[in-house]
Amino acid sequence: MFNVAVETSVGQVNVQTTCNRGFNSEEIALNAVDKIISISETADPAIKAQAEAFKERMYWVIVAACNQAMKSDRTTLYNLFKSNGHADMAEILRTL
Amino acid sequence: MAISTAMSTSFKKELLEAKHNFLASGGNSFKLALYTSSATLGAATTAYSATNETSGTGYSAGGAALTNINPASSGTTGFTDFDDLTFSSSTITANGALIYNDTASGDPAVCSLAFGGDKTSTSGDFTIQFPTADASNAIIRIA
Repeated sequence: MFNVAVETSVGQVNVQTTCNRGFNSEEIALNAVDKIISISETADPAIKAQAEAFKERMYWVIVAACNQAMKSDRTTLYNLFKSNGHADMAEILRTL
Repeated sequence: MAISTAMSTSFKKELLEAKHNFLASGGNSFKLALYTSSATLGAATTAYSATNETSGTGYSAGGAALTNINPASSGTTGFTDFDDLTFSSSTITANGALIYNDTASGDPAVCSLAFGGDKTSTSGDFTIQFPTADASNAIIRIA
């Protein structure tokens, strides 16, 4: 008689919430880099150090990209509000 | 009343019936619904239900659609993943969640997720961050 054992598992999610604000670039980048790069605890120390250095570099690249995306989106919104007659709202966005 | 992290037993059966497709392109549409601590979710959960579902600003009944990531394998383990999900500008409290197949008839359950306590957003973001998509951590794994 043959049988094949199959094990199914569910991973653990992480829930993050904010109060009276959204997530900032650093928080978003931390999540992104954790998702992109996973470093094994049992990895060779030299490879582990190299991977951690790469992860750190990627973190700052993503922070910069997020900041750029936010600024660019605010420019789009600034123009949207302004063209719809909400100059005051546009100015608030511009000065954020 | 409790929520536990578990794969639905009905989902395991339905996998053998080809009822679920997790492909990013052409796959089924999966949703994540949030629940209060009054809900009972676990391996015995078979389908989405609105009973004890979270309500509040920034949240609609039925939850929100997940973005499928193509299933992959590593070693002898097959796994799949979803993009992180955010309920923006929300004021909600949830104790757990249910992932279910919104395409399949009857909204069959995939798995229940326990948050380990009430999580609250107040005029902010409520983000569910899925684990690293690998053979040891991915949200849904078959070994």
